[in-house]
Amino acid sequence: MANPFAGLRPALEVIAREAEILPATGQALEDLMRPDQDEVYDRIRTGTDDRILDVLIETPNKGTYISVPPIYRPEKHTFRYFLDGSARTYFIGTAVEGNRQTPVHVAQIGAVAVFREDNGQVHVAKSSHKMLLLMDRDAVSFGPKVEGIVKRAGARFDFVNLKEDDAYTQGTGVKEPRSKAAHKANWRMRMLEWDIARELSRPEDQWLVLDGGLGSEFREWRDGRQFLGVAKSFSREPQFSVRGERGKRQSLNLYQLLAELPEAHRTAAFSVLSGTVAVWYVRLRPQKELDYPLMGVVKVEYPNPSAEPVPSDVINELSRALVGERSETPHGRDVRWHAHLYGIFLAEQAVKNGFLSPEALKAGLRWPEKARLSAPSGRSVI
Amino acid sequence: MAEEKKAPTIGRASATEREPSSSEKFYFWLAPGQVVNPFDIISVEHMEGSRTFGLVTNIRQITDAPSHLSNYISNDFGNVDEVANTPRQGANIAEVGVLANDGDIYMPVQSEAPVAFADEAGIHVSLGIDKMPEEARIPAGLITMSNDTRARVYLDARYVLGPEGAHVTISGISGLATKTSYAMFLIQSILQTVGEADIAVIVLNVKHNDLLVIDKPARGFSPEDHELWEALGLKPQPFRNVRYLLPSGKDTQTTGLPNCFGEPPDQFQIYAYSLEDVIGRRDSPGPGLGLLIRVPDPWDTLGALIGEVQQGILNQEPRWREVRTWDELLNGPPLMDKGIPQKFGEVAASSVGRFVRVLRRVVRNRQSGAFVQQRPRRAVNLGDEIRKIKGGQTYVVDIAKLTDEERALVFGHIIQEVYGMYAEATIDEQAELPRKVLLFVDELNKYAPAGRGQGDSSILEFVLDIAARGRSLGVVLLSAEQFMSEVHPQVIGNCSSRVIGRSDSTELSESAYRFIPQDLKAHLTRLDKGELLLAHPIYRQPVKIKFPRPAYQAIGH
Repeated sequence: MANPFAGLRPALEVIAREAEILPATGQALEDLMRPDQDEVYDRIRTGTDDRILDVLIETPNKGTYISVPPIYRPEKHTFRYFLDGSARTYFIGTAVEGNRQTPVHVAQIGAVAVFREDNGQVHVAKSSHKMLLLMDRDAVSFGPKVEGIVKRAGARFDFVNLKEDDAYTQGTGVKEPRSKAAHKANWRMRMLEWDIARELSRPEDQWLVLDGGLGSEFREWRDGRQFLGVAKSFSREPQFSVRGERGKRQSLNLYQLLAELPEAHRTAAFSVLSGTVAVWYVRLRPQKELDYPLMGVVKVEYPNPSAEPVPSDVINELSRALVGERSETPHGRDVRWHAHLYGIFLAEQAVKNGFLSPEALKAGLRWPEKARLSAPSGRSVI
Repeated sequence: MAEEKKAPTIGRASATEREPSSSEKFYFWLAPGQVVNPFDIISVEHMEGSRTFGLVTNIRQITDAPSHLSNYISNDFGNVDEVANTPRQGANIAEVGVLANDGDIYMPVQSEAPVAFADEAGIHVSLGIDKMPEEARIPAGLITMSNDTRARVYLDARYVLGPEGAHVTISGISGLATKTSYAMFLIQSILQTVGEADIAVIVLNVKHNDLLVIDKPARGFSPEDHELWEALGLKPQPFRNVRYLLPSGKDTQTTGLPNCFGEPPDQFQIYAYSLEDVIGRRDSPGPGLGLLIRVPDPWDTLGALIGEVQQGILNQEPRWREVRTWDELLNGPPLMDKGIPQKFGEVAASSVGRFVRVLRRVVRNRQSGAFVQQRPRRAVNLGDEIRKIKGGQTYVVDIAKLTDEERALVFGHIIQEVYGMYAEATIDEQAELPRKVLLFVDELNKYAPAGRGQGDSSILEFVLDIAARGRSLGVVLLSAEQFMSEVHPQVIGNCSSRVIGRSDSTELSESAYRFIPQDLKAHLTRLDKGELLLAHPIYRQPVKIKFPRPAYQAIGH
């Protein structure tokens, strides 16, 4: 079998020839994402303008909690596609050129959409995997050359400049290049998801569920229809202003709002981003069986480009279908099993099955020996 | 190999980090909805265009649930009515023991290789039957697989009748394992394929009158029964040229009828044992009194006395000249005087008394009628009849109504005679004998027990010798017993072919069954009546077979 990292070797050779390499311990070190990173991204996507949600973007419902008993697949099969992505980032060393330096990372990113048949069996509808080389292109003189080599290596490879910011790195405020790598890989993974979502050819009644909230790329998708974002981890920061039983307004934080949310119920749908997104929460599971009030709850983001009030019936139907998705669960496989839709979990597994193992990566990606790369004339010998 | 229609793929080989394939074993996942059962034989594409054949030993279902708790919680914390929109991802994984590769390549099966059910030709390759010469093939049963493929299974005659190996042992729970039926089927198969002219058969009937009608065609034989026999290439016919030897009973003198269950066969002969029949003559020793005295004798006192008695009577020594009947032996001199036991040589009177008491209990007080004071002319000496046996004849010796001691006597007598015929005969004498004699005995554990000190050592000695040398002598033992673990290990060890019907798990945990893979043992507790596990030297793994109903009359009781 050919070395799957072959496309990156010429780039590594340039880096190795032009700079002193400080290899990572154990050849490659996986940069782990913290479990609440999704929560951070949710905060970034929501932005700072919508810290207090007080406008309902649905009609005619005005209540705070609405019953949504489950609809199961045999009765009505609403959600057909489930889309998720994953990224694994490895620090492979630091390239030092005089008094300048850049960390060098390699990342595997992937996104998969699975399709669910009428009988419940799933199969992969579309998938995409890439390998990224990440470094601060402008920190060293050979950066542009490395970028050119990787971009010519084939569609499976791509170059990411750690210096450039994107929505995730801007939102997290991370500046240090080594710390940015994982976020940048994640952002590129999100782009893969976006590509797949657009490329899926879906009949009108087949909904697509995205893992996580809707970023700007999805919100601005004018042709997109029948899709929504379901987040299992979400920001705790929003405050809510709702009408109580006697019509008087009261302020609730997220904990207060969700603590009173019964099983198989949803909250009212709130306006976010000037009404272009409707947001509500659905409790999938009885709270008494779980450790924490926020467990078993998903946050739903529904694209609403027109900013007009969304019919409550639509929101109810989608919420009922979501409650119906509570079985099976990835209990034992994911700490967020209580809010993790099984279809999304399977898409995630499909992505990860397409990744090469750390052992394969460490064996396939080795820094070339500098002595072998330089001849007395200064030209490389390969 | 000729181009053949490709069998549909039912799954693909699967090797993982924790469960790699090996030269002996591999796994494959089944296509959804595909049914496979243990003992199915499958074929998988392998290197250099070859095929590897394997026996399915177990099937498991795996899912991505790490624990049962996850499944419970996934169903809304134990809601039995919960509906899963996306069913739990799972796969059925079959474990397979490698049987053979048609290119002699025993590299591990490669992951993702397509798997299909083997056809009959493939089954024959997997079992080594393709390499068996046609003339050595004995149909032993049918393999029936989950996809309804059927294949004839053969035993290699060189490993049943010698010279490479011999003997067949059949074990299993009584009433469920169909041991006798299978033994009789196998004997019929041997006679039809190897040729009955050179083979003599001796069968002991131990249960009711089950084997007293083997020359009568079966009643109510259905077309399906016929079809099963024909599928094996055999004719569904009863035994031919059968001689029935039935024991004398207490009323035989007056009624002329033997001591047997039900109606006796149309043609039969009665056998009985007088004192002379047991002790024998100088030119033809009998089975001996030792077979009747089955009590502990740690100092061989009784053994010595028996020796003296037999020598005395055989040699017509003066003090034994008046001893010609059982009564004379038990009541008169030299052992007894007016009812009082006498010291005899070095043997104390008390031991003589013990000998007389035991013998009296066997031949008089508790006997079934097999012992007579004088054998009437119409009754035969069993040994004499056995010696007359010819190729093509089947002798059925009935012992169903005999006591345990009488059964031991009869079996011991037969085995002694057969051994004498084949092991001790001169070359000229051997030339007149049938080339092979098949001896079927039920409850072999009574005559060749596994434990030390149990049973009669003289019978055991003959059985062990026949077990070890039978393949070259031409004596083939077919034995049946409920518990193979209770038969002497040297007898079992010398049986080339082992057949096991339904057995219980306690018995299967004994060391006698260590040749069976652990996964297959569990299935033995669930075998249906008429299903058997067959192990043969040519096969790499035991196989499950079915066999047809006997083509002779079945007795219901």
